[in-house]
Amino acid sequence: MSGDRLINVSERWFRILLRLYPADFRDEMGDAVVEAYGDRAREALNRGGGIRLASVWVQVLASSLRNGLGERARPAAAWRRSGNWGRDMELATRRLMRAPALAAAMVGTLTVGLGMFAVVYTVVEKILIEPMPYRNPDDLYFVWRDYGPMVDLKRGWLGGTDVAELQKAGGVIEGAVGLQRELATLSAREGTDPTEIAVMVTSPNLFDLLGVGPARGRGFARSEVGPGRPPVIVLTHELWNRLGADPAIMGTDVRLNGQPYTVIGVMPPGFAFVRNASLGPAQRADVYTTFSVNLAETNPSVGSYGGIIRVRRGTSPKTVTAAVGAVGRAVDVRDFNSRGLKLYQVGLKSDLISGVRPALLVLGFAGVFLLLALMVNLASVLLARATQRAHEFAVSRALGANTVAVVRATVFEGGVLGLIGGVAAALAAIWGTRMLVALAPLDLPRREAIAVDWGIGAVVIGLGVLLSLLAATMPATWVARVSLSSLLAASAVRGGGGHGRMRSSLVVTQVALSLVLLNAAGLVVRSFERLLRADPGFRPEGVLTVRVPMPPQMFPESAKALALQERVQDTLAAIPGVMGVSAATSLPLTGRGGQTTIAIPGAPGNIGDHDRDTPLVDVIGTRPGYVEVMGLRLLAGRAFGLVRQNNVREALIDRHLAKQFFPSGNPLGAKIPFLNHSLTIVGVVEQARLYDVHQDSRPQLFIRVEDWGAETQGLLSLSFVMRAHREPHTLIPEVRMAIRRVDPRLAPADLRTMDEILDDALRQQRISAVLIAGFALGALHLVAVGLFGVVSGSVTRRRHELAVRLALGADHPRVVRLVMGEGARLVGMGVLIGMPGIYMAGGALRGVLVGVSSSDPLTLLAVALGLAGVAVVACYVPARRVLGIEPAQALRLE
Amino acid sequence: MGMDRDRRGLDSQLPLRAVEFHILLSLATGERHGYGIIKDIQERGETAVPDVGTMYRALARMVENRLIEAAARRPASDVSDERRNYYRITDVGLRVARAEARRLEALTRIARIGGLLAKGAK
Repeated sequence: MSGDRLINVSERWFRILLRLYPADFRDEMGDAVVEAYGDRAREALNRGGGIRLASVWVQVLASSLRNGLGERARPAAAWRRSGNWGRDMELATRRLMRAPALAAAMVGTLTVGLGMFAVVYTVVEKILIEPMPYRNPDDLYFVWRDYGPMVDLKRGWLGGTDVAELQKAGGVIEGAVGLQRELATLSAREGTDPTEIAVMVTSPNLFDLLGVGPARGRGFARSEVGPGRPPVIVLTHELWNRLGADPAIMGTDVRLNGQPYTVIGVMPPGFAFVRNASLGPAQRADVYTTFSVNLAETNPSVGSYGGIIRVRRGTSPKTVTAAVGAVGRAVDVRDFNSRGLKLYQVGLKSDLISGVRPALLVLGFAGVFLLLALMVNLASVLLARATQRAHEFAVSRALGANTVAVVRATVFEGGVLGLIGGVAAALAAIWGTRMLVALAPLDLPRREAIAVDWGIGAVVIGLGVLLSLLAATMPATWVARVSLSSLLAASAVRGGGGHGRMRSSLVVTQVALSLVLLNAAGLVVRSFERLLRADPGFRPEGVLTVRVPMPPQMFPESAKALALQERVQDTLAAIPGVMGVSAATSLPLTGRGGQTTIAIPGAPGNIGDHDRDTPLVDVIGTRPGYVEVMGLRLLAGRAFGLVRQNNVREALIDRHLAKQFFPSGNPLGAKIPFLNHSLTIVGVVEQARLYDVHQDSRPQLFIRVEDWGAETQGLLSLSFVMRAHREPHTLIPEVRMAIRRVDPRLAPADLRTMDEILDDALRQQRISAVLIAGFALGALHLVAVGLFGVVSGSVTRRRHELAVRLALGADHPRVVRLVMGEGARLVGMGVLIGMPGIYMAGGALRGVLVGVSSSDPLTLLAVALGLAGVAVVACYVPARRVLGIEPAQALRLE
Repeated sequence: MGMDRDRRGLDSQLPLRAVEFHILLSLATGERHGYGIIKDIQERGETAVPDVGTMYRALARMVENRLIEAAARRPASDVSDERRNYYRITDVGLRVARAEARRLEALTRIARIGGLLAKGAK
């Protein structure tokens, strides 16, 4: 009894598995197959009971998977076996030439869509995937200080002593270098204008560590470091070019900050080493020289060195962590009384790209979605084309034409289109990538490497062909299975055929894909808009900035340097149209600046926890007038006055410091010990953000430059800022001249408006927003085209039925609604299917959004409405053709 | 012309896959259904007995290629198997099977000459 039940269940199971086979095979062979399996099941049950039967079940599952899918793929296999490639190619080309508009539209869609994808693919490949151009780059790590409970600084520069310890460590750490970067004034020859360049000061083994040597001349000798080292420099290829690309420059002297340096080498072109920064963008350099100090004798509490180590080939990250951690513990015990300093390492590359990684991943995903939408679109266009020729196919098949040949023709058509589109897309990508790099942030990591190469070109073309072939298989399978009888039946009742269902499901897929893309784009754009509207704490309009370096080697007497600064300020103020001039050591959003810990003894906000009561702050030195010229918001007290008060060293604190130390009381007049002196707080300001546009960073302390002459040379190179009535760019020539007039040794650098600085800070977000919005609009366009096609096809197909309805008294609007309802149903289904996709995309987006939740309902609503709006239009236009139906005429024609 | 076409058709079918040859061998002795053919193959002592799905796919293809054709629904003797499809070999099928047998025989002969098989051994 139970045996029969088991057999029944088995047969049901076999019937389910039968679904794996294509429909026509099922119709023809299904019953026989189930029957045969039933025999096997019975036999197994009789011979071995339930266990045997179970094994039959599993065997049938495996067999159905293999054979079912194999049978579905049979047209392709048959095609492979008996092809006549030359003839097919000729036929496909000829057919495409006969429909040039269609071919052009498809190639155009492929070019734009695939081209956009190729640009993103290039960027992702070059930045995220391609290894850095160093020897065994995976064994290189940046090392950082984590101050633990002492100061809230998780990614701090190393002390020189840390680098010395790493160099001594041995074990898996094969080598270590320290890196400092300075800006210096370069005079190559007498009579040339001095220019400012970036100097990388490093250990002599940097090039050995990276495994890249100079292209000309030599690198540093191991002994060329420390006090009394010979002043030698290695130029980058770019600087060497700027200096005239003269091979004879080797061995000659150039002046850096007035000191002579001998050129000993030139790096190869494309050597674009950067020092990753503790905060802010990585820094590149124009020349390399070595430390003139002994790293082991530097002050351990000051962190200002980048550090790179190379570990023994193939060392596991875990071992590296242990080795670096051990060095960190030794440093902590020796220099920090075991207060919890840690050292840790990050892979050279992952450290460099950590900032752009989330944005690139999102773009990469968006690119893949666009690609999918593109493929679906191609499929539906090819299907539509196949549908138009359905009768031709059916008749020729009925007349004995080889099915395989018909399928082959359809697939080939796709292939040819894909090849053309792929080549065009690769060309478009070359151009698009160049444009993107021009628009990209200057500090985009690996920017120099981003270009389409042969490999990428081949991938793009291959993708084009592959996509089109895949897209063509869909109509091809339909063509292979369409029979004359079913077509005639379909035309008799004028109902939807199988291809109608297939097209509809393609549109649903498109809607779902583009909903996800549109939502992502909506979120990214909204987040960007938030950034644009964010209040950075200053007023950028109409402000021009210029940095005027005064290297101490050239201006050793600080009193004279201060006087010079004053003269620069006065000269600039005299330029017509300038309303106010001031200067600061670090401008907002440039991420430059010095940090120190401060304490305010006696302030009511102290809680007795030493580490919390001595926060790390950004120190910004300014000249008077800075708050007014830059447009900082003064919250209490006053800004620095024009005239300096004797015996008082003034300070402004920001809102955060005021809140921490004076939660209720008045901070004005309180004293801050600072470099053996005492600062008096005269005012409280809102932050002028140094790093991020959208959020405050660590607290800020403003000091007055003139209060500090001899004590701190760091205050000598100032960026002057001027607010003007005029368009600030028009001031540039006059500013340059004015500064040269004050002292010809001064090299004005970085003449930029604050608007440009703000712009640069938002470049990455802007470009992401533009790209992803472009993707989304592209996908939306594809949806509109798809819907248009379905509805217009449906009107044609149902012409007869609609005519009958009209003849029976339905009015036109009612019939239009009927047709449009068909489109609306597809959109609705697509939106429902796309919803989980939105949820999944949210996870990837979280890292790039600012001020917008990754599941923002407002964006979703707006996107859904927008999509619906486009859908309505895309449906309405073809649906209007119903109005043109003359019932009497349409019915007579049948 | 007809003859020529058949010739070409014949050649394009060769070599047969093992399962196809087995099917033709079975049907050469009379009408069978798919499962019956599998049984035949088992009885021939073949180690790799095709599974049901493989069998019916091969049958479908061979019908398409006109090597076999569907027989009348069921032989009178068989009452229970109402849903089974019975097949019989066509003339073309018979010729293809013979051609395949000749091809195999020729191969075996070559193997023997080449010393792969002992002369006269089975």
